[in-house]
This record gives sequence, C-alpha cells and structure tokens, in this order.
Amino acid sequence: MRIFWSNILFAIAFAAPGFAAKKGGADWWSLQQVKRPELPPVKNAKWVRNPIDAFVLSRLEANGLLPAPEASRRTLIRRLSYDLTGLPPSPEEVQAFLTDKALNAYEKVVDRLLDSPHYGERWARHWLDVVHFGESHGFEYNQPRNNSWPYRNWVIRALNADIPYNRFVKMQIAGDMIEPGSADGIIALGCLVTGPHNTTRPSNDTMRKTMRQDEVEDLVGMVGQTFLGLTINCARCHDHKFDPISQKDYYAMAAALSGVNPGDRDLRGLANGADVAALQKLRAQESHWLKEITSIEDPVRNKLLKSAQKSGRKGPTPPRPDAAWNFTAGLTDTIGNLPVLLKGSAKQNVEGLILDGRGFATTKPLPFDIAEKTLEVWVKLKNLNQRGGGAITLQDNQGVVFDSIVFGEREPKRWMAGSNGFTRTKSFTGSEETKAANQPVHVAIVYRADGSITGYRDGKPYGKTYKTGFQKFSASTAHLAFGIRHGTGAGNNRMLNGFITGARFYARALSAKEIAASAGVGTITISERELATALTPTQREARAQHARQLVTVRSEIQAITAKAPQAARVYSVVSRNPEATQILDRGSVLKPIGAVMPAGIDAIKSVKSDFGLSNKASDGQRRKKLAEWITDPANPLFGRVMANRIWHYHFGAGLVNTPNDFGFSGTRPSHPDLLDHLANFFEEKKWSMKTLHRYIVTSATYRQDSRSNPEGMATDAGNRLIWRVSPRRLAAEELRDAMLAVSGQLNTQLGGAGYRDVREYKFKGSHFYDIIEQNKAEQFRRTIYRFSPRGARRNLLDTFDCPDSSALAPDRAATTTPLQSLALMNNRFVLSQSVFFAKRLSEDAGEDIRAQLTLAHELALNRPADPKELALAEAFIADHGLDAYCRVLFNTNAFLYVR
Amino acid sequence: MNITGDISRREMLEWSTWGLTGAALTSLAQAGPRPPASHFPARAKRVVHVVLMGGLSHIDSFDYKPELEKFHGKPLQYKERPATFFNQIGLIRKNDWPFRQHGQSGLWVADLFPHLATCADELAVVRSMVSTSANHTPATFEELTGFQLNGFPTMGSWVSYGLGAETDNLPTYVVLPDARGYPAGGTINWSNGFLPSAHQGVAFGNGDQIIPDLNPAQPIPANTESASRRLLNALNLNDQDRFGTEDALAARMKSHELAARMQLTIPEVADMDRESAVTRESYGLNKNETKDFGRNCLMTRRLLEKGVRFVQLISGGSFGSPRINWDGHEDMRRNHNREAARIDQPVAALIKDLKARGMLEDTLILFTSEFGRTPFTQAGGSKLGTGRDHNMYGFSLWMAGGGAKGGTAYGSTDEIGWKAADKPVHWHDFHATVLHLLGMDHERLTFYHNGIQRRLTNVHGNVIKDIIS
Repeated sequence: MRIFWSNILFAIAFAAPGFAAKKGGADWWSLQQVKRPELPPVKNAKWVRNPIDAFVLSRLEANGLLPAPEASRRTLIRRLSYDLTGLPPSPEEVQAFLTDKALNAYEKVVDRLLDSPHYGERWARHWLDVVHFGESHGFEYNQPRNNSWPYRNWVIRALNADIPYNRFVKMQIAGDMIEPGSADGIIALGCLVTGPHNTTRPSNDTMRKTMRQDEVEDLVGMVGQTFLGLTINCARCHDHKFDPISQKDYYAMAAALSGVNPGDRDLRGLANGADVAALQKLRAQESHWLKEITSIEDPVRNKLLKSAQKSGRKGPTPPRPDAAWNFTAGLTDTIGNLPVLLKGSAKQNVEGLILDGRGFATTKPLPFDIAEKTLEVWVKLKNLNQRGGGAITLQDNQGVVFDSIVFGEREPKRWMAGSNGFTRTKSFTGSEETKAANQPVHVAIVYRADGSITGYRDGKPYGKTYKTGFQKFSASTAHLAFGIRHGTGAGNNRMLNGFITGARFYARALSAKEIAASAGVGTITISERELATALTPTQREARAQHARQLVTVRSEIQAITAKAPQAARVYSVVSRNPEATQILDRGSVLKPIGAVMPAGIDAIKSVKSDFGLSNKASDGQRRKKLAEWITDPANPLFGRVMANRIWHYHFGAGLVNTPNDFGFSGTRPSHPDLLDHLANFFEEKKWSMKTLHRYIVTSATYRQDSRSNPEGMATDAGNRLIWRVSPRRLAAEELRDAMLAVSGQLNTQLGGAGYRDVREYKFKGSHFYDIIEQNKAEQFRRTIYRFSPRGARRNLLDTFDCPDSSALAPDRAATTTPLQSLALMNNRFVLSQSVFFAKRLSEDAGEDIRAQLTLAHELALNRPADPKELALAEAFIADHGLDAYCRVLFNTNAFLYVR
Repeated sequence: MNITGDISRREMLEWSTWGLTGAALTSLAQAGPRPPASHFPARAKRVVHVVLMGGLSHIDSFDYKPELEKFHGKPLQYKERPATFFNQIGLIRKNDWPFRQHGQSGLWVADLFPHLATCADELAVVRSMVSTSANHTPATFEELTGFQLNGFPTMGSWVSYGLGAETDNLPTYVVLPDARGYPAGGTINWSNGFLPSAHQGVAFGNGDQIIPDLNPAQPIPANTESASRRLLNALNLNDQDRFGTEDALAARMKSHELAARMQLTIPEVADMDRESAVTRESYGLNKNETKDFGRNCLMTRRLLEKGVRFVQLISGGSFGSPRINWDGHEDMRRNHNREAARIDQPVAALIKDLKARGMLEDTLILFTSEFGRTPFTQAGGSKLGTGRDHNMYGFSLWMAGGGAKGGTAYGSTDEIGWKAADKPVHWHDFHATVLHLLGMDHERLTFYHNGIQRRLTNVHGNVIKDIIS
C-alpha cells in the first residue's frame, strides 16, 4: 500500500546533485524482448500454488523472510469481493463460502466474482483513472460533455465480456478502422478525447497553434503512458532527458495522432457485432434499389426540368417576412412599417448599410409578440479577423436580453447565435468563414419553441442544430438592431465592421426549404404527379416493384438498428486528415524544422517503427498503424505494462511501482522474472484479462494474511517482497458504493447515462456545477456512473483521493487527513445512509438489539461482533440509538480497510 | 534489484522511502506540526496571494509611462502587428489615472490605488513580467501552476507539500473566493493536481458550513456527538487488539482528534465580531464597496495568526458581461475604478495590520494578475477606444513583506508599456523567487509524476535576487 507520507518524504529526501546524470539507452531493460524465465528453486515447495509463488518465495527466502500464513476465509472473501467487484460480500455469500466443503471452494468464489457484472464496473474505474476520463472541457468555459458516458459504458462492457486486451487497445485507438460501421468502433475512440479541451480560441494564429500543440502533447502523453509505460510527451521540446526517445520520435507519434479532434459523433443507425455485416449488406441492397429507382426516374425528370425551364417556371416562392429591408435602396421596411434609424457613424448608400465599428441602426419597438422567429441577413465583412460584432439583433429595449447573428465572438471566423450571457449560445460547429470579406453572404438563424436553434449560411444548414432555452419577447418591449451585438450605444467588441445589404425578420420559424428559397438557392421541383404521368406503364410497374423492395429492406434495417438501444451520440474522435507534422524546434510553433512521417518509437528494436505511411496518409490509416505497432506481440512493453497494472491493482503496488513509466525515471521491477512470466502468461492466454486475474488471485501469494510481523517490518517495511498482503483503505468510490451496499440502498442498474449529483448552471459564459444531495434511488447508483465534470469535485470523494480528472492517474494516493474524518462523520450522504442502514437492520433483524448488531457487523465488516464490541454497542445504542451507531460503524477502521 | 547487495543510490532512496513509512506515520500520530523542510534559511513562513482575475492594467497602476501622454491618440509604431486576443488594434491611450511618487522610496503608484500608495515603501514591484498566453484561463493556470493546462498543482499546493502545516487545527492552504462568485474554471484554480489531496486548497464560504462537512449535515445532540467519538475510538482500539498495530490505522485514529479540533477553531477564525470596531473599519467592513474583500482580508490575518500556511485571496469572478472582474475590454475607467475600490483599502489595511503585529516580516504578500493590458485601445481600425485588450508581453506584479525589498521597482517595459524591455521576468522566475523566500530551492522541491520529477517551475526559473531585501 502506498501512503502519502512516503511520497512526501521521497520528494523531500532531496536527491543529491548529479542524481540525474545518467540516462537509459536502447539497452534499457523494459525495451528488451520479454524473456522466458525458468522457475526459480525454492525450499518450501509445498507453499507454492502456482508459478507466481515460486518467483515470490525465492526472493523471500533469499532475504530470510517467511510468507505470511493463509488468511481466514472471512478475510479472503472480503478481500476478493472488494478487489474484483469493488463491493462487500453479502452475509449469505460469506456463509456459503464458510460452509463450502469443496476443494475448489475458493476458486468458485473467484469465478463467481469475475462473472459478476460488477467486475467490469470496478475495473473500468481503474482504467478511467489511467486515461483521465472527465466529463467537461475544463478551462474557462468548462462546458459539460453530455455524451461521454457511452465510452465509460463501453469500457465496462468490454471488461465484462473479457475482450482480449490487444483488441481492447486497438478499439480505443482505431475502432473506426478495425470495426468499420460499428457503433462500438466509434464509442471506444472516446479514449482519445478524454482530456481537457480549451474552446476559447484567440484570434491570434500563433496562440491557436500553440494551444493545439498543447493538446497533442496531452494526447501523446496519454497514449504513450497508458499503453507503453513511456513518457514520450517529455520529448516535445528536446530529446527525452532520461529515456532513448528523440524529439523526432515525439513528432512521429504526434503525426500518428494529429488527425484526432474531439467532438460528438452520431451513432444513430449503427449496429454492433454480427449485425454490422448484416447491416452493411442491407445498406448495399438499399442503395441498389434506390439506384434502380433513380435510373428510371432521372432521365424522365431531367426532360421535364428542361421543358419547365424553357417555359419559364420559377423556383419556389420565398416565404413572406414580417419585415424586410433592401439597404442598397434605402432604409424603409418594404413589407411593414419598421423603418431603420441610423445611430452613430452608420451610413446608407448603394452598397448598403455601412458600419465602421462605431455606428449601428435600429427599428422602433416591434408592435407584436415574438415567440418563434427567424433572423436573416446579407452581410459583407470588412475583415475576417473581427470578433464579436452583431449583424442583426432582436433585443429588449434596454439592450440587455437579446438574440443575435454574431461573427467570430467565441470562435474566430465563425458565425454563432449570440445571446445574453451566452445563455442560448453554443457552437454550431460550422466551418470558418472565408468568403464574407469579398462578397455578401447570406446568414440566417431559426429559433424554435422547443429551444432548438439552427443556423444557415448561403441557404444551406450551417453546422448542427442544437438545443438550449427559449426566449420570448412581448409586443413593444423589443426592437431590431443592425451592426451591434446588443446594447443601446456603440461599444468596442460588440460592433460589426462591414456592410449589410439586406435583412429580413420573420415572427415564425422557417423550414430549411423556405430558407433556401429566401436565399435564392431553391431549385425548380418536379412533382410526383408530373413524374408519374410522364413514366411509361412498364416503367411505372418496375418502379413500384423496386419501391416495395426498398420498403422491405428499410424495415429490416430499422429492426436491426432498433435492436441495440444506445446513445444517439458519443463524444469521440472527429477525424480530420492532418497536414504534414513538423518537428518544432524547442517546441515552438514559429520554428518548424522539417516534416516527419507517422511512426513508432525507434528504440523499441523488436518492432519496426516505420509505419510505411507517407505524411499524406489519412487520419484513420495513421491510427490503425499505430494500434498495430503498439499491440504487436513483439512489442515488449505492451504485455509488461498491462500485466504490471493488473498486479498493481491487486496488491496496491506494482512490480514496477510507477505503472505509467517503465523508463529510467521509473522504478526497477522488484521481481523482473515474475513480470516477464506474467507478460508471457498474458500473451499465451490470448490476452484474456480475466484469466490473468484468476491466475494472480488464486496464488498463495495473494492469499496471505495481512498481519504484520517484526521480521518483515525490520527487513522490508514497505512490503516490496510481499511477505504479507498489505491492508488497504477503500478507494473513494468503493467507500461510497460500500455504504450503499451495506445500507441496502445500492441501485445496481447497469449502464445507461449515469446519474447527476450536480446542478449545472452557466454564469458569465462559464459552466459551474453545484453539488446537490438527493435521497433518490437514481442517485444511489455505483459511483462510476457519476457524471463527472472537471472542477465539480465532491467533498466525500475528493478528500478520499479521487483524482483530478485532468491528470493521468495510474496510481492513487491513500492519504489520511482530518478533512476525511470530517467528511465521513458529517457528510449528508453518510448521515442519510446511516439512517437507511439502521432502518434495514430493524426491518431485517427485528426488534432484538443482539440480532440487529449481528447483522450490522456481518453487513459492514463481514464478521460477527465480538463480545467487547457487543458490550460497547449495546450501551451506546441504549442512549443514542441505532442511527448513531451505524454512523460510527461507517467510520471504523474495520469498515474502511480491507485486510 | 537486490536489497542486500550493492545497490544504487536511487534504489536506496526508493527503499528508504518504504522504510520510512512507519516513522512518517508516527509523526502524524504524534500530531505535532512537522518542521518546515527547508533548503536554506527562510525569509517568510507564510504566504498571502492576492489573485486579480481578468488582467490588471499595469500602465494604469504600477508602471508609470509618461511617454504615453505624447503618443496619446497615435497609432502603434511597431513593424509587426501585435498579437492580441481580439485582434482589434486601436490607437494608443495614455494612462487614465495620474501617477504620483509615494513614500520615502518615491515609488510611482497611480491614483487608482490611493490606499496601497500609502504602503509604497513595502512594495517590491516587478515591472517586466511576461507570460506565454494571452487567453485568460491558460494564463491564469500559468500564473498559479507554471503550466497552461489543467491538472497541475497550484502554488499553494506546492507550498503546503513543501512546508507542511504550522497547525493541525486548520487546513494548510485556504482559499477565499470573490463574494460575487468563483472564477472561471472554479476549483481548478486551487487544485492539488497530481499532489496528494491533502494539499488541495480548501475554499472558505460564507454560509453555515464554512468549509464542507465542518459540522454534521443534520443536527446531532452534543452528548451523542461526544459519545460517538468515544465509541469510535474504543472500537478502533479493540480492532487493533485483535488484528495488531498498523501505522496507517493508528494515524487515522489520530486524524479524528485533529478533526474535532478543527471544528472548534474554524468558526472562531471566521467570527469577525471578535475584532474591534476600529479594526473592522480599517478593513472597510463598514462600507458597501469594501465589505466583501475587507472581510476576506481580515479573515486572512486571522487565519495567518492561527498558523495557516497559504491564503489565496481572489479578486474577481468569471468572465462575460456585465463584467465582475478586471477584464476591462470596453471601458477601463469604469471597470478598474469599480474593481480597485473593492480591494484597495482592504489590502492596504492587511499590510499595515500585519506590520503592526510584527507579522509582515515573515509573511510574504503577493499581488498578481494573469497578464496586463495593452497601451493601445481595443478598437477597430485607427480609433481611440476606452478599453484595453490582454497583454502578455509586459505587465506588473508586486510582493511585500517576508524578504521582499520594499520601495523598489525591478525591470521595465518599453516606453509605452507594451513589451518587457529590461530584465524580463517569467512566471517561473517569480515562482522560483517565492519558493526561495520560503527557504526552498525550486529545483529541489519535486514530486515524481508519470516519468518526471515535477517542479512548480517546470525546467525553468531564476530567483530574482534584486527584489530580495
């Protein structure tokens, strides 16, 4: 077990000068191929249950230590249950184990726990620590990631299904390539976008590029440390100081990952597993029938179109606005009675309404109520670097509450729906503006009563519709303004610089078709009746037949996609083919010194680092090659690193006690041969994680008692040689889950979107998350399902070392502080669970205090109360009641520690 | 690796780490404050960090640029286009507040801070600060942690980790957020990053629970509370009898005692009524504009007296409109007048109060902002606006007290205050200096995390000797 004081002392035991003079070369131990060590000879061969024990025992014997005796069955089942599922065993489970006479009684418990769906929940938590999974962007705005949870659930499912570790890894790096068309292939990629992401992008190019490089470093760091135990990220500005990783290696790895961009991906219409192939087949049939139909229709339709054009038929009629201005002609409203008044330096001439950043224009208050609405404008910009000016705005007469078409405010060069305090503002994720400085572009925003907001540019949808709140304006309290984001006087970054040639306002939400018509990009349509009449009878018959086929195919598609109910979206990789990656001198974006190809790390000699890709390769190709390189069985780090992680979580300390760093700065393995033995075993068992767990926990090493002894303490107080199993404190999530399990309130629902114990609100553009406490079954799910935005830290979890999800946490501290004591004594959750616990006791054990106490101790401590405890408890309960007793029990060392 | 044979020094260290576990825990069990781990004699024992969110205009406060008068209304004479956040480069604007010389040192301070000006002889101003981001949050993280990304420990956490606690009755690192709300990023601004959670800043609130979970969430009778503690101890002792002594478990038993002491101390510290009316008035508790920050400054003094190591006082909430921090894009006069009025008198009162109590000499006060503001206005084209944009190329901060050379100004910006000219100072240098004054070598205060012995100063940092008295 690691205790934080040791960390402190380690760092405060200041290293002597010259300590860092050495570094590792290509001959560094962890980069060499995995050996096949012989089993070492041991004296006490009877103790050995499996080869693990021989490796451990030989080192103990060499140091004159004896292994601890086997722990009691009560201790073992409690240890196994927490270790494999993160939950305590029930009294019935304990009883069954105690009375099981079978020789394989222990193995039966192990198998039961590994088969439990709670196994995946427990071990997914470890994995999410390693990949720094957090559910908001961090930084200034800290927007929530409402669609990250499918990734969390995928990890749980994958672990429960025991998918081979190499596939588990490949899916997270290149799922879209190795399972094309599957939902899971996209969901698993969520691994690559777990880190913080700054959405506040400055106008300045250098600043933006540097930010992107920072993100790439975070990603390279995560991938290198998680899958390889290498701190490749340390080589961004110079060659690695301690490991044989060059700056070129860093940028080669960056090149492999630089097409990764975060964003929501649509999962609708996707399947999983065997259905993927079936679905692909059906989709092919679907397009076949569609093609058959169009091959009949198109020639006829084209003929009809031509004659329609010849006869002068017009496109669709534009919708009628409630007010419209042609500013190249004047300031009057061509529909209603809303003339525009110029303010400040604004002018009007044949070019339109001219805005120089100091002027704007307004109408008088609108005489009608406005609920749904559409703002539409034709605008040419003075330059594309300007930030935050509004083109057309509907605002209250004070200029405070508003909806506006704004350019470049939050994201440079992009249009957005501006609003007071960004309350109705999100990114459309539309493309950057390139044209508006040269000619007017058409921009429209549609506001619907359900809170959905849709942008259009040049008549076509601009990015994606999103949903927020909805703002109504009453008659005579609001007016329209042009050239200003909001307000009643000119001010700096709210002002637009450019020309507005025309604008329209509709007190209703226009459809996409209507917008297209208004923008003049709608086309002449040929009606179904016209078409049907023009077809020959044979054509009509064939077409009808194809249409029937199409309906059948589509219903089959529907049946498959409806079968796997899943999230509509996932926060995952939005793949963009990157430009050639440059090595940056000292990491500076201003000093590129030559391009690199995507590749692996040169110093791992047993696998070819060259991916055989040019720097024109697609993002997917790059990641696929990277995944293959990482998971290559000849890559010595691949198996070693994961075998060590699994060992680390079972024993509280790794064989290499720096699970993310197998380099020079990390620790050397305490049992190098055992590590290689485990890596071999892992590969032989086809990378089955459950098989490796079973192998470890059935060893005699794992079954040792946790009691200390003077010999062990004198020789090896830190228990690196494993002369006992170190007692460990429950982790934060385990602690909360265990209280729920003991009180009988645990909601064991698997999967789904998780629970939220925060009230999210937006204040001045930033998102904040206040903790709320509710005694609801929905909140009583396992902690892994907690929606976990960055900065929304919960005192009970936080004080018990739940890590900051912005930092990669391969290893948790287990501290002891007075703030933990305060949290565990006083937190509302603990108090309410104590009441539930007491209620459960009186319901399940009746009125008899003895019976209640027996059950209480069986539930919380997995052992009966001893006579001393009974005496103390009975005296206390008589004066202070059962609730108070349960609260104390939750605070005892016996509850808080697993021996 | 062989523990008995010839082992390297680093392995020895590793092993001794484990070997020391027991001793370390005993020290917690004894509960005495740990002696500060110093590398050399410390000039300061504790720190007050006043963090101005949004960007204080250096040329309107501590960096007097008479030349601005001359350039007022003229365009910037640089060849390169300045890189600013909003990319709107207006005409140069002179300082909006007149500057005067103050104290015996004759330090220039603008009329923006009339009360702080009376402390001029205590201030060691650095006028040549530079940063590498002009984007609020990354720049703030750089100011607080030395890195632009989330996930690194803040200065307060490093100090808590390096020096430990002076008291067991209060948290080591306390944060007093602006009464108008948390800054952007919320608690990320006092995160322990990868350091153990004991080093996280503890934010004090104004409500019933001054810190989270200080008292039971539902009322519990006093006799039940004390009986519960006795029972807990008895059950733990019984467990120890049955299963043997374990350092970690003994330490936890001790931690319950410490928690009970904190419950008594914290409400006492937060009770301003224990101060005289004169003191309360000197901090501005009687006036609307100063009462919030004044309360936090007075609380700061009370916390320091009781042994808190690091207090982070935050001036300003998150961004957006209308503004509640120093981000004067639109109208500098309105913005900075309002913000300065909230903190000027309270901070000056804190300096004077600490001095009167003999505490200033070993208390280091830091007054910083993530960046400065541009000498040209933020306005389209060639216009003279009223607001200023972010400036990471040159800005000011000051230190006072414990080891800082009062009444001095270090470094300079160019003639209009746009870029640091003489002796540029980066945050890393500032952090190195702070640690130095606390008796710690910034290159030796390290924590191993994922492959690197991490430092507050990354791989940089030079102590600014010239501002040390």
